[in-house]
Amino acid sequence: MNFAGFLLTQCLNALSQASILFFIASGLTLIFGIMRIVNFAHGALFMLGAYAGYTAVRVTGSFTAALIFAPIVTGLVGIAFERVFLSRLYARGDGGAYLMVTFGLAVIMGEAIRLIWGAQALGVPTPEALRGAVLLLDQPFPRYRLFLIVIGATAAIAMWQFLERTRAGLLIRAVSQNAEMVHALGTNVEWVRTGVFGLGCAMAAIGGVLAAPLVTAFLGMSASVIIDAFVIVIIGGMGSFLGSIIGSLLVAFVQVFGAYYYPDLAMAIMYLLMLMILVVRPGGLLGKEE
Amino acid sequence: MRFAWTFAIAVVLACLVPLVSPNYMMTIIVEALIWGIFAMSLDLLVGYTRLYSFGHVAAYGLGAYTSALLLLHFNLPLPIAIILAVAISSLIAVPIAWVCTRTHGVSFAMLTLAFAQLGYAMLYRFKEFTGGSNGLAGIPRPAGPFGLEVFQGKIGYFYLVVFCLFGSYLLCRLLVNSPFGSVLAGIRENEAKTSALGYNTRAYKRAVVIASYGFGSLAGALYAPFAGFASPELFFWLISGKVLIMVIVGGAGTLIGPIIGGIFFIFLEHQLAEFTDLWPLIFGAIFIAFVMLAPQGIWGLVTSAASERRRSPGDAASESEDVTGASA
Amino acid sequence: MTKISKLVLPAMTRRQILAGGAAATAVLATPAYLRTATAATPIKIGIPTVITGGYAVLGSHVMRTSNLVKKMTDASGGVLGRPIEFLFKDTQGDPANCVRKTQELVERDDCRIITGVVVSSEARAIMPKLEEWNAFFISHGNGDGTLTAEFYVDNFFRANTSAPMGARALALYLKDSENMDFYAIGSDYAWGHSSVAAFEEQIKKVGKNFAGSVFAPVGNKDYSTYITKITQSGAQGAYVALQGDEGRAFYSQAQQYGLAKRVQLVTEIVAQANIRALGKDSVGLVGSSRYPFTYDIPENKAFVEAFTKEYPGELPDWTDGEMFQALQILFTAMEKADSTEAKKIVAAMEELEVTSVKGAVKMRKCDHQGENQGFVVRVSESADYSEPVPEILKIYPREMITPDCRSTSYSN
Repeated sequence: MNFAGFLLTQCLNALSQASILFFIASGLTLIFGIMRIVNFAHGALFMLGAYAGYTAVRVTGSFTAALIFAPIVTGLVGIAFERVFLSRLYARGDGGAYLMVTFGLAVIMGEAIRLIWGAQALGVPTPEALRGAVLLLDQPFPRYRLFLIVIGATAAIAMWQFLERTRAGLLIRAVSQNAEMVHALGTNVEWVRTGVFGLGCAMAAIGGVLAAPLVTAFLGMSASVIIDAFVIVIIGGMGSFLGSIIGSLLVAFVQVFGAYYYPDLAMAIMYLLMLMILVVRPGGLLGKEE
Repeated sequence: MRFAWTFAIAVVLACLVPLVSPNYMMTIIVEALIWGIFAMSLDLLVGYTRLYSFGHVAAYGLGAYTSALLLLHFNLPLPIAIILAVAISSLIAVPIAWVCTRTHGVSFAMLTLAFAQLGYAMLYRFKEFTGGSNGLAGIPRPAGPFGLEVFQGKIGYFYLVVFCLFGSYLLCRLLVNSPFGSVLAGIRENEAKTSALGYNTRAYKRAVVIASYGFGSLAGALYAPFAGFASPELFFWLISGKVLIMVIVGGAGTLIGPIIGGIFFIFLEHQLAEFTDLWPLIFGAIFIAFVMLAPQGIWGLVTSAASERRRSPGDAASESEDVTGASA
Repeated sequence: MTKISKLVLPAMTRRQILAGGAAATAVLATPAYLRTATAATPIKIGIPTVITGGYAVLGSHVMRTSNLVKKMTDASGGVLGRPIEFLFKDTQGDPANCVRKTQELVERDDCRIITGVVVSSEARAIMPKLEEWNAFFISHGNGDGTLTAEFYVDNFFRANTSAPMGARALALYLKDSENMDFYAIGSDYAWGHSSVAAFEEQIKKVGKNFAGSVFAPVGNKDYSTYITKITQSGAQGAYVALQGDEGRAFYSQAQQYGLAKRVQLVTEIVAQANIRALGKDSVGLVGSSRYPFTYDIPENKAFVEAFTKEYPGELPDWTDGEMFQALQILFTAMEKADSTEAKKIVAAMEELEVTSVKGAVKMRKCDHQGENQGFVVRVSESADYSEPVPEILKIYPREMITPDCRSTSYSN
């Protein structure tokens, strides 16, 4: 393989990885930004998205249907959870409570998924249109990963514009900065929170659906993903949407190239990165100061 | 005075446990007590200084592996090995404390997590030394100083753990009730103000992190010789979550609460698994129930009637508190 | 709030006390050594396996085959004239938990025969304690080569094909391959390292080149960079020591890159669960199989028939076959020893030969490793089944497959 081909392939590998990471991390950071909740259940929601996606594909044969169905279902589950449990905890302002409740949710969801779908891994085939590889600089690169890059970039830009330009986005940013003021100005802050929580869950679910053709839907998904998500969000800055994009890219590139040149350190690389960044910038790269 | 009596009664009751429990139960009892020590160590950080840690498993794992290696390679008497393991782990905690206390809030939590994960990765990296994924098996329990053999048996070990539990409880209690503890409380309530009063809050935080890791490593150091092996699962990050839950379920900021939380958690997990395959489901539900219905934790429930404590763990604002202009 | 919370706490304590009390009473009332085994008393077999957690699939296989075996043995008069009782415990794949649960099986349930442990590190954790517990442990699926080498203990037997044995079969098969250079990717833990080391040794022995290896962290999800490493190595073949979740992730992604078209992928474990999940993406994969259910001998045919009848829609996976074999060997030894005592079973099992679902297996005395044949298979579409199946390419005799005594190497 010539060096140019190698470099291009690795960069694309990193971008495709970053895409899935972005869906998960952005959801987590949005939820944190607006609710100050560290959502321990985020990995389980990602997993639910993958399984729901599997069912959608089984029933309809369409991957697109999965991409629509899974986030809706997961978003609804998240909203229900937020309404029934989380909303009652806002008055307490107790971080420990959120931790336990979302941890409890994660455990329950994990079990529920096992009971509903069984212990066996479930395959989600790569959609027909995206099968196979294209030759880039003489190297085959999967169409599916190109799709991931495109959809990730599109979602990132769309979300960014949504937050920056639309009224709803403005509300979200306002609530994450000063909820009381927004409330005083007449907006129902509760609904904003619920909406954002649902959105965050939906994003995680999309990540799950997208990951399914790469790793199949399996019960161990949630545990491995949650810690990656935390690290990315911390590196990017808790609550910063742009930070989640940058964090995803940074982690993906460091992991792809790091694991290639230093496979022995593959496990540790992400944490070393986080360590270095936090020591220099404790709030993360784009951490919000209040 | 009342405390002295309650404490004495507790000690006596603890000593009677082996007489009423079947032999096979002693294993889980000893493990539960070890977790009690571990949870209490975290309370110093979480309950008394409001420093949420996501990486406390590092203390446990460090203690476990250090005592395992000491016993395997040097065949030291058991109590000596444990004391040494705690000393070494506390030393290792110094740079960790130094780096982590440069930040606070979520960043602090994530830094502790980073160190724990690095520790986990190193176990795999240096497998010739640590046994890699297999871990270290066949850890001996050599006869103690002066030919003391009592700790080689399960009952003897139980008393060792009881001694460590009560001993470390007393030490921690001394610590939090001392002027040092008052400064911690000050940091907990308002670090900026405490710093303005002239205290070097960062140094205090460093100290409490080291103390917390020290006691945490005691738990790990007690575990490895008991189980007879140490494996990377002892360094797994989910344990940090578990012990944090133990502290909160037990009642943060009370020392006793987390001990009870730890014991409760272990027994609950164990008993539930016996009854049903669906135990994680029930487990999760119980925690949610605790949060919604009993936020002060078990100890809070117990003392709520007669509580004179003006502060309950429910007041503790979250680790999700943003990095404010306080003392970054 | 107080009313509900008062209900929560006392209920918990009450249940704990009841559970502890009931168990205590049971133990105190029937001291183990005074209990006499009657014809009606079941023989207890302890199965500390993975019921919840990452390897739950393998645990579910262990349990389903055990239940099938119980049905079959009870119907034919039991073992030593007694019915079998399996005590399933959930270890979640955690060695500490496994030690605890096994200790309870021994001390509380007076159960001293153990099998069905899923993870090699769990096996490693309980092996040193077998002597102290006077317990017997037979492995149905632990692959780490060192268990019958450096870490050998008297009361442990391994009925199954180990990782070095799997690598050996594959290397022998690849001897005739036109490909000269082989790269290896493994999971960064004991089994992965053991497999790759064994493969490296064996492939060199058959005269091929070993182009290098890389280990991916346990739980790794994205294999793109590792796929790049494989293609960069220039090797024509790649040995994949990844199983379960990691195996599936790797093959799914490799398929997308069309890796199999350029590099011959071979693997050490071919699992039906993965074949089913990967579907047509798995067709063409060549590997070593610890137990291919397509093996055409009468003993296996009978097992497969009974299995598919009991579990319609399911096909026996490697764990099922290996578990069945392990139990068959165990029961045969127990009958021969006319006892359920650990040391007597050990004596009876040494040099015991049994024709099981995998053919004739001999439990070697020198290191307690079962001498198994080696199967090399290719995943193929089949007219008889709705999913691809392992088609047997070659079977190697057990003398060629089983390593030297107390070793993971081969001198022949």
